[in-house]
Amino acid sequence: MVEITIRKRPQTEAVITQRKFFKKTARGKVVKVLRERYLRDDVACGIEGCRECSTEISRLLPPSGGLEHQLFPNGHYILPDTNVFLAQMDLIESSLFNPPMILLQTVLEEVRHRSLPLYNRLKALTKSEDKHIWVFYNEYRSETAIVREENETPNDRNDRGIRTAAAWYNTHISLTHTPIRGQKQMPHPTVVLITEDAANRQKAEQSGIVSVSVRRYVEAMKDANVLLDLLSAEGSHNIEPTKAAAGRQALYPDYLPTPTLIAGVKAGELHQGHFNANQYNYLEGSVPVPAFDKPILLVGRENMNRAVQGDIVVIEVFPEKDWKAPADEVVDQEAIQKNDDAEDSGEEGDENDEEVFSKESRVLSGSSNQKPPSERQPTGRIVGIIKRNWRAYVCHIDSTSLTSTLTTSLSTQTVFATPVSRLLPRIRLRTRQAPTLLNQKILVTIDRWDSTSRYPEGHFVRALGQVESKEAEQESLLLEFEVPYRPFGKAILDCLPPEGEQWVVPPKGEFDLQNIWRDREDLRDVIVCSIDPPGCQDIDDALHAKLLPNGNIEAGVHIADVSHFVLPDNPMDSEAAARGTTVYLVDNRIDMLPSLLGTNLCSLRPFVERLAFSSIWELTADAEIVSVRFTKSVIKSKAAFTYEEAQIRKDDPNLHDELTNSIRLLNTLAIKLKAKRMAAGALNLASPEVKIHLDSAESSDPIDVEQKELRETNSLVEEFMLLANISVARKIEESFPQTAVLRRHLPPPKTNFEKLQDILRKTKGFSLDVSSSGALAASLDECVDAREPAFNTLVRIMATRCMLSAEYFSSGSVAKDTFGHYGLASEIYTHFTSPIRRYADVLVHRQLSAAIGSTPLHATLHSKSHVERVLDVVNRRHRMAQMAGRASVEFYVGLALKARGEQARARGEPDVREDAYVIRTFRNGVGVFVSKLGIEGLVTFKRDTQFDAENYTITVPGAKEEVKISVFDKVVVRIEVEKDKNTQRGKVKMTLVEPVDSSAF
Amino acid sequence: MTSASISKAEKSYIQAGLLTSPPRRADGRSLHDFRAIYLETGVAPLSNGSARLSIGRNPLDGSGGTEVLAAVKLEVENIEEQTLDGGRIACNVSCSPSAYPHLSSGALDDLQHDLTTVLHQTLSHPSLHPKNLGIIPRKKSWLLNLDLLVTAEAGNIYDALFLAARAALWDTKVPRTRSVEYKSPKTFLSASGDMDVDQDTRSGFDTRHVAHATDFELPDYWDEGEILEGRERWPVAVTLNLLHTAHFLDATLQEEASCASRLLVVYSHESPTAYTIQSMRMLGSDELSIPHLKKLIKEAEGYTRSMATSLTTKLEDEDFRRNQKAREKFGRRK
Repeated sequence: MVEITIRKRPQTEAVITQRKFFKKTARGKVVKVLRERYLRDDVACGIEGCRECSTEISRLLPPSGGLEHQLFPNGHYILPDTNVFLAQMDLIESSLFNPPMILLQTVLEEVRHRSLPLYNRLKALTKSEDKHIWVFYNEYRSETAIVREENETPNDRNDRGIRTAAAWYNTHISLTHTPIRGQKQMPHPTVVLITEDAANRQKAEQSGIVSVSVRRYVEAMKDANVLLDLLSAEGSHNIEPTKAAAGRQALYPDYLPTPTLIAGVKAGELHQGHFNANQYNYLEGSVPVPAFDKPILLVGRENMNRAVQGDIVVIEVFPEKDWKAPADEVVDQEAIQKNDDAEDSGEEGDENDEEVFSKESRVLSGSSNQKPPSERQPTGRIVGIIKRNWRAYVCHIDSTSLTSTLTTSLSTQTVFATPVSRLLPRIRLRTRQAPTLLNQKILVTIDRWDSTSRYPEGHFVRALGQVESKEAEQESLLLEFEVPYRPFGKAILDCLPPEGEQWVVPPKGEFDLQNIWRDREDLRDVIVCSIDPPGCQDIDDALHAKLLPNGNIEAGVHIADVSHFVLPDNPMDSEAAARGTTVYLVDNRIDMLPSLLGTNLCSLRPFVERLAFSSIWELTADAEIVSVRFTKSVIKSKAAFTYEEAQIRKDDPNLHDELTNSIRLLNTLAIKLKAKRMAAGALNLASPEVKIHLDSAESSDPIDVEQKELRETNSLVEEFMLLANISVARKIEESFPQTAVLRRHLPPPKTNFEKLQDILRKTKGFSLDVSSSGALAASLDECVDAREPAFNTLVRIMATRCMLSAEYFSSGSVAKDTFGHYGLASEIYTHFTSPIRRYADVLVHRQLSAAIGSTPLHATLHSKSHVERVLDVVNRRHRMAQMAGRASVEFYVGLALKARGEQARARGEPDVREDAYVIRTFRNGVGVFVSKLGIEGLVTFKRDTQFDAENYTITVPGAKEEVKISVFDKVVVRIEVEKDKNTQRGKVKMTLVEPVDSSAF
Repeated sequence: MTSASISKAEKSYIQAGLLTSPPRRADGRSLHDFRAIYLETGVAPLSNGSARLSIGRNPLDGSGGTEVLAAVKLEVENIEEQTLDGGRIACNVSCSPSAYPHLSSGALDDLQHDLTTVLHQTLSHPSLHPKNLGIIPRKKSWLLNLDLLVTAEAGNIYDALFLAARAALWDTKVPRTRSVEYKSPKTFLSASGDMDVDQDTRSGFDTRHVAHATDFELPDYWDEGEILEGRERWPVAVTLNLLHTAHFLDATLQEEASCASRLLVVYSHESPTAYTIQSMRMLGSDELSIPHLKKLIKEAEGYTRSMATSLTTKLEDEDFRRNQKAREKFGRRK
């Protein structure tokens, strides 16, 4: 019989058995936490074939250690300390870096304490197949556990623990590797402590532990060239301090310590917010904070103090007399810092430096302060950063910063990487691969930004491919907008029905094993059709309408029943929630759901039976709702039209079949619905939408760009979708007042329109009434210039930009009077109609299904905080997806323009010219909008013009006399695509042709 | 607080024994002898300081005697009134019903209240207040909760309570805090040159300076902290049981029941020579003449001094046992 002894641990051993620490809670209380510690003698060392430690686990470290390293021919194991993981995670993650590694519990815990994201990356690594990492629980093995000495700092204690463990390993290996009689004595492998801390290395060497720095270790590795680039900038300084590092002067003020910042924010003396860089002027940024109506302006490098787009920063606001207005000039960092040398920029006494300084200070002082006080914004400076938003950025290597462009050169060079986004500063990095990386898109992460360095320092992560190659551009776009684009994993695909493509709606009756027909209406005989853009594969809506005997009309909207396939809380659901939305790029689509669902099972294709969620109204001939009901159903679409086909069919007087009549019926209803909506004050907004003609699906070379044409049938579909969304929103809000997933569009603050109102009044004499959406719609209708039909559209575009963006929310989270949708003038709204491509719709489907008693509501949808969390992600993804889509269009417009320019030149025409409208004036340029191409561009002049900020005009010297250009003026611009010399970035360059040719100045 | 009910015969027997010469007590002690006192600190690991003390426990089987458990818990408190600046101390005594099986719950409450009042009034006196209970001036401070639990009672409860309280307070460590503040930089002041402000002459009475610190942090999570300032000052009490002109110490329950009045004197011995009387109470109904009282107070000082000295020695011993010795033991283990 096994003897069981229960040993009560005596209080007298408390020092060994208990670990006590204090914790400060969010509410400011101090809590003492006590952990019991049980020391054991059987924590395994993890080395395969060890005679003493037996373990069941199969993935062990090789018995002879790593043999490939030059410094340790007898084999070795590496044992890195905490700082290595904190600073060099990219190196550790590299597939080329895979020596057998011992990861101590002490290190793991310290990493977790310091940075949770790094800890998670590390945890993932320990599980990955291609790494040899053994986690050794040194705090629980009696030989390696240590107790903190009196007056020992936690750091020293941990370092001592790490050294103790390293020493123990070495003894352990020598004991278990003693020669077996009759066999040759093999040298045993060494455990190598890797640390950046010189003092720790010294102490380790005193106690006989081999220790090296990361750089020295990597330098002697096989793939040193590649791996050295992955070293973050942090490591480089210990070894080879740059020549004048000591003599460097701080360019930026130091940050205040975090607790001080928090204290300041709490006391209301400092303000916290997200940093937004200004894309026109790299020396300016702003931070919206709740305490002020206008965002806080940050002028100049010192005041922006090393903040990068998206960082959460803390600001100190200057006294009111020092407040400034935003500059009215375009300041391009490439132009000013062109001559900056990557190797030694930031050093005192550098000529370049002074040049940059003088240029910058000229720019800053030039930005006039004679502006009216009304335009002044609260101005301040950044005193600290709460959270960095640093991630990997897509960049180009700046070719002028290279000292040697020989592809054979393997010397380390310091170069500049220019991020694709104009909102980011240049990043300085050291690489040996610089020449081969030219003309490539690469990923770069920022490691740090010292107060002595003008630029942030980073390291190279990986190359994406040749500039302007489709693959590289596409991937860079997805990375830039943080779109998750990896293929769906196995766990997710396992959630799909096992029949795959062969899945069909089972016949009604006894063969319906899964009870699919339960609570489902059979609408297979209803004349349903779908109307979509050409080439649409994910058809998520279909419509029908018919006359009822009582003279009323029955209209139905049928939406793919995605929630039947995507069940709550399985891997597919979590992935869809994380993706939030399908992202449409010009030549690609990043699906939210696996394509089996999106383009087949949930796509309401014609002539096949599909599961649907139907919303069926009885409407009067005047489109008044008599009644509405929602039901799960099975439909069989009779046709899939494009907008164009549907339009032709409707307009063909010879056709009188049921389908055509149904479309006509829908159309008349839609016209009435729209009229009603407009009367209620809905806005007819415009945003430039263009269509890219692709040559063929394969080569996808764009040949031309044109504006999207809008037909009656577009509006037909839109009206019914709005109707469905509003009806569903009412229903779920009524059933789940706390957690209904709704969408709202807040009315914009009046101040947003101030500038547009002023411009319109001064240049055209129109006044804009922004008191309500109805009033705005009416006054927008009046902004018509008989000579310029595009003027109205332009005003609408500019008005749209003054508005806030719509967002999803949970009905219990905000006050009921803020539910309204401003643009649609509806008091309640949601998204129900596109569950294949929007996750919010999936949630709405679930809630509606529960509201009609078809399925019980999953517990998570009863939790307000859960719904809020999910919708936060969805909102962010939605925004990012829109930006990615726009960027993709921009890229293709650029390509198309380039192609067009080449064709034009081939035909002997000089260049591409287009009509454009001035939308903004600057001291040294104008912002223009080319409506035909849907692009916005910037015309910059090399010298200042006479700029009248009050009247939004500039006066430029013309051929004969001076010409005045004001906002809304029609001009002709020459459009060229030029490859930016330094960054290889395709850049649309515009110059004025009419009224004056601006290429001269 | 006669917790033992004894007959008149027993009472007179005990009184007669105490008054004979030489006096005779049931357990053979002389009048001014204490029973054995056992003390251990650090018994409640989650508290900031703790001690268990027993008087008169049977050394063989650990039964009997008066037993008190004392624990200190520190709590962060927002200061709303000026008077709270620098922290405060709150004592509470609770009595386990098993220690007083014969008392009704109402009587037990009364008893607890009486004991609490004596302890609280004595220990929270400003003259004893440790100086390191403040966190941020006028914003946050520590509230020191001293909880004492009587688990068994066999006479002389006051002395036991004060001894246990002193041990727990001695053992208390205050977590180190660093206050964080945000100061508006001077540049603003100098920038506004239209104001003629003399910066260096700040008078001591100038109340315009308001500390900006609003929050604090713990610089070292693993550190227990620093000891309470002035822990040598914590007082020691002695109960003089009065019987005619004689007095005796450390009465058992029966002895307590047989004498009509007791005098509780609490002395603080900051150093072997400096001492102050912190509190004094007359319990019981007998009369006491002023000269007699004076004499008793003087004698009490002698008792408390020797108690304080031996208590301090024991506490230092405990500190050594729990830290250094334990660590050495841990070191030897390998």
